[in-house]
Amino acid sequence: MFRRATLGPLFISPWLVGFVLLVAFPFAASLYWSFCHYDLLSPPRFVGLENYRRIAQEAVTGGRFGQALWNTGYFALLSVPLSIFLGVTLAVMLTWKIRGQAMYRSLFFLPSVVPVVAASVLWMWLLDPRDGIVNESLGWLGISQSLWFKGATEAVVPPGWFDFGSKDALVLMAVWASGNMMVIYLAAIGDIPTQLYEAAELDGAGPLRRFLHVTLPMLSPVIFFNLVMGVIQSVQAFTQVYLVSEGTGEPAGWSLMLSLHLFLAAFQDLDMGYASAMAWLLFVVLLGATIFLFRTARHWVHYQGIMR
Amino acid sequence: MSRRNVHPLAHLALMTATALFAFPLVWMVLSSLKPANQLTEDPYAFWPTRWQWSNYPQALSSLPYLRYLRNSLILCTGSVIGSVTSCAVVAYGFSRLRWRGRDAVFGVLIATMLLPWHVTMIPRFLLLRELGLYNSLAALIVPTFLGDAFFIFLLRQFFLTIPDELSEAARLDGLGEWGIFTRIIVPLSKPALATVALFQFIASWNDFNGPLLYLSDPQKFPLAYGLEQFVSSYSDQTHLLLAAAVMFTLPMVVLFLLAQQTFLKGIATTGIKG
Amino acid sequence: MTRHSAVFAFALLLFLGGLLIWDRLDVRAQIPAERREVVFWHFWGGADRAIVEEVVARFNRSQDDHFVRAIAMPGNNLDLKLFLAISGGAPPDLINQDDPIMADWASRGALLPLDEVASQEDISDLQHWLVPAARQLGTYEGSMYALCNGLDIRALYYNKSVLDEYGLAPPTRLDELDNIAFTTSTFDADGNPQRFGYLPDPRRLWAWGTVFGGDFYDEPAQRVTADSEPIVRGLQWMTSYRRRYGADAVAAFRQGDQSLPGKSFPLLSGRYTTVMDGQWRVRDIVRSQAEQRQRGEPVTEFGVCPLPPPEGGQQRAGWVNGNFFVVPRGAQNQGGAWQFMKFWSGFGGFEDEAAQTCRAGGWIPVSTRVVNRPAFQAFLREQPLFAQFVELAASPHQVPTPVVPGAPFFQRTINEAASKAMYVDAAPSVSTLLQEATRTIQIQLDAQKETPLVAP
Repeated sequence: MFRRATLGPLFISPWLVGFVLLVAFPFAASLYWSFCHYDLLSPPRFVGLENYRRIAQEAVTGGRFGQALWNTGYFALLSVPLSIFLGVTLAVMLTWKIRGQAMYRSLFFLPSVVPVVAASVLWMWLLDPRDGIVNESLGWLGISQSLWFKGATEAVVPPGWFDFGSKDALVLMAVWASGNMMVIYLAAIGDIPTQLYEAAELDGAGPLRRFLHVTLPMLSPVIFFNLVMGVIQSVQAFTQVYLVSEGTGEPAGWSLMLSLHLFLAAFQDLDMGYASAMAWLLFVVLLGATIFLFRTARHWVHYQGIMR
Repeated sequence: MSRRNVHPLAHLALMTATALFAFPLVWMVLSSLKPANQLTEDPYAFWPTRWQWSNYPQALSSLPYLRYLRNSLILCTGSVIGSVTSCAVVAYGFSRLRWRGRDAVFGVLIATMLLPWHVTMIPRFLLLRELGLYNSLAALIVPTFLGDAFFIFLLRQFFLTIPDELSEAARLDGLGEWGIFTRIIVPLSKPALATVALFQFIASWNDFNGPLLYLSDPQKFPLAYGLEQFVSSYSDQTHLLLAAAVMFTLPMVVLFLLAQQTFLKGIATTGIKG
Repeated sequence: MTRHSAVFAFALLLFLGGLLIWDRLDVRAQIPAERREVVFWHFWGGADRAIVEEVVARFNRSQDDHFVRAIAMPGNNLDLKLFLAISGGAPPDLINQDDPIMADWASRGALLPLDEVASQEDISDLQHWLVPAARQLGTYEGSMYALCNGLDIRALYYNKSVLDEYGLAPPTRLDELDNIAFTTSTFDADGNPQRFGYLPDPRRLWAWGTVFGGDFYDEPAQRVTADSEPIVRGLQWMTSYRRRYGADAVAAFRQGDQSLPGKSFPLLSGRYTTVMDGQWRVRDIVRSQAEQRQRGEPVTEFGVCPLPPPEGGQQRAGWVNGNFFVVPRGAQNQGGAWQFMKFWSGFGGFEDEAAQTCRAGGWIPVSTRVVNRPAFQAFLREQPLFAQFVELAASPHQVPTPVVPGAPFFQRTINEAASKAMYVDAAPSVSTLLQEATRTIQIQLDAQKETPLVAP
């Protein structure tokens, strides 16, 4: 046992080196800046809790920070579950023996590698309120036209049911480009030992029960991975948010996410202290969410290997 | 899964979903073949009024394509080798070995992903510069050899699905941990490792910010930088942007088709492992 | 096994192939030994980048002392990289940018005042040489920190063919523009707009506010005055279009323009009778007309006029921005940077070179001395639409975003207030929105002032 106890740290040593060399200092520096007035061009000046006080004030008065917080939460709460549901469903369907399987797989995967600049041009066309094909199709279904990128509405919040606004457009783009998650599920399904299915079949389990009792539990570790990473990445989503509103968070701040707010504060308003404080608050929130997810994981994630 | 009969309705659902996903892609390819004035006047049309194949050579010739491609390939292959090797080793340490403080350290690893890169960018840059890596593709490749939290987490999840009895049996046979890692865990995790390789390749291929911030010599910039050149606030070059984007995405298709073969193989052979 | 090794083989092949191509291509542009390098970062992308590279090549051929090496960083990347470079103590020699960021950099001591780069006499000559807008753009707290090398002027483009059809003349007063807007707008059977005669863009309150006779900033008093009466009236007038057509219709129509963000010119697709836009659209019009001719279609005629003022408003007024050169503190080759700045802008005897540059790029010269060169005059005779912009550039009522630290925030906050007024039906009143914006901006600007200046 003792031998293996020292082996552990040895195995993780590459990451430890990277952590000490490239991660620890930047983290410490930004934490320090969060207590400073720092404009990137002159030396930081210690101001205590001033930046945090400003953020708290803005959160209470519904200023930009409050709005960005809500927007980010809305985006994450919609895009993460949707992309997980879609990813698992598609991955399972794509293990069926059907003609053109490889083609299907690539088509679902491809959107995640289309450069974001090109994707945002395409989606602006697709979601054009007047001439875009999405509104036209929704019209056939009897759903009235939405403003999408220009819309100051939220499609899943009661007064605006099905009135799609700028954040809904971003959710749609994100879900479309979530094919890389599907790849992870595909790889995980590839890892499931066949004899588990054979055993289930011997027990007389139909396709649905095989899915619920074999596939889903065996996928749970990577579903958990995609859940945690989905939350982290959607909260930090930046490029597409920046591109579709040209960095303005239009309309009237309805697509202003925390990442964009932080970016503008740091690099346009030269207020790195405030941006760092915001980043660290975000860090604490995400840390809380992650710890919560890890706690719940004990009840639904099934590991075959060693856990503790 | 059911490997014999697929219900026609299920097949239909799959085809519908595919059509929805593929539509923007098909449209991107078609739009990349439209003349510039069609995109200006009516971008919503499906078919090109005229098939303007010359968009492609024009997009190619407006940048030093081969040079950028060379840089991209060096960057991608270097990073893939770095990520796959380092992350696999580290993930093994976090999943298949018991040691004191492991879960706490793993918590730190997860936490390193929670801070937006905007606020750590400057000190990180200064560190890499101190290490003498500024203005070299090594600034982007070397860190991949020190593990990446995302991939380590991913591989850990995969490694944890492998039954512990396999390791125990190997230990009884006198195999050391390194042996178990290389002879049992790695062969069983090919789909996962292929996923990491694929993801790292894509990440490096698409990375625009990294090269721009860490390199100062345009001769060293990768293709993603070339693509960015078409994004200009003053002129209408969308037809070229889309043509460049299609060419930029195409290698990813080939790569994916190759990588997904390993997933298929996984399904066919993992049965033997027990 | 074989398939997995195929992946491996593929990766290895790519790597080897990469290395092979590397060897064949490594012919880095060598800088002649006797020359000093000028490291030049600029924001230009797309077709403009090729023109910039041509200017650089021409400069490198024109003399034997300096060699400019240009690196394009489109979008916001230039700013990011500059912060890194300054933190790392290795800034470039010269920067060309078009954000209203100069005062922020200058107030933190990140830039060299131009009279440290060149002689004092040169700079006072330069101030007289520039048109007022260009001078304003480069001046912060009385010192020149930036040399503007191209102005972006906005004016009203109109579709002459449509105006003729309705028997209307180009507008000279605001009510004439309203008349054009209302009479030439068309709607389909469902009442959806098909063409707007005119539709104000919230980002252009800057222009209309000035045309209405307003000032966004009182420089001597250092007060934000974005809620002053003329600006409120300007925004009120803009929102009269929302009230007339409804916020959703206005927003939906506007999104149609941005489907190609800021790139395609909606006037050409017949969506508008009149559009306020900048001089760079002239080449879009010329190209579109050439294509019509080529296809044998009737050619749509377009014209340009100054923004029509309301009663008591400002003639030939508008909002201007521009691209400018700055020399970061710590630049190694300041002399080379100054030479290249002169070569591009035309100051110091380079008027003919600048005329050629502006002609190639469709850029507006920053001095009437460049405009008056015979070569440029000939160009203006060929391009009557462009000539209108060049003429407007010399007007003293073409005003830039205030050159103060915090200007990006200033600009963003005003645009956001205008956007709310324009697109949200339930928005608070125009004066409330502007008062709120003014207060927010003032707080931000005051906070910026507390920042201790770095001693030069």
